[in-house]
Amino acid sequence: MLVEICQGETLPPVVKHITQEKINLYAEASGDFNPIHIDESFAAQTPLGGTIAHGMLILAYVSEMMAQAFGENWAANGKFSVRFKMPVRPGDTVTATGKIDSIKEENGISYVGCRLECHNQKDEVIITGEAVVKLPYGQGGTSGSR
Amino acid sequence: MLISYEDLTLGYEFPPTSYELSPSLVFRYLKAVDSVGDGFVPPLAIAARAMTAMTGVLSLPPGTIHASQDFEFCKLVPIGAVVSCQAKVVRKLARGSMRMLVLELNIFDQSKEKVQSGKATIILPA
Repeated sequence: MLVEICQGETLPPVVKHITQEKINLYAEASGDFNPIHIDESFAAQTPLGGTIAHGMLILAYVSEMMAQAFGENWAANGKFSVRFKMPVRPGDTVTATGKIDSIKEENGISYVGCRLECHNQKDEVIITGEAVVKLPYGQGGTSGSR
Repeated sequence: MLISYEDLTLGYEFPPTSYELSPSLVFRYLKAVDSVGDGFVPPLAIAARAMTAMTGVLSLPPGTIHASQDFEFCKLVPIGAVVSCQAKVVRKLARGSMRMLVLELNIFDQSKEKVQSGKATIILPA
């Protein structure tokens, strides 16, 4: 978890290399066997030209970053809104990044707003979005952080 | 039977589903996302199962894109919990060559407390 939560603080990034094997494992774990993810010959004939990772797999990396930064508060009191900008393909390396851009306090709760972004190895933006985590006032040093 | 875009109406409610977040399911999910657990079910493991249950009854053509996603997590969920998922169509739009669906889902635990909610925007080719 972050020791001190300050506006402008960058969250420790999560970096993952995507392989077809990981995509196949995710298909089995999630039950999403859409052929665009797992059938290379099918995917090759679509406008995408090949298999792509599940969007929810890439979101899992964003969620991991948020959980590392905010602990159980993320899974208990987090929310996010993201847009998928481009597909992720086998061979890509995905970096999930985040930055705290607001801290608001109300009724003993700190609302920590974060700007989210995922890039591939070419620094192309894959996902953009925002997240908010509710923290008990003072947790993570939020009370004196602005 | 699969439901096509044409058959979906605004407010359409998908058949409710429930599923157990078993230790093996959580283990497989953590392995797939290359992560370690914290003793609770990762919120996106719950969401992923719910999304699959929802979209699994849809006949989605090749080229369908998951365009955006919102989630709100409401409580920690212990491994082994059984959750139920309700989903419905909250927006349906056809404009030119673009067709769009916004699906809302709500997930509850066995005590009927909301675990998480979300909205998925899906764009289908014409």
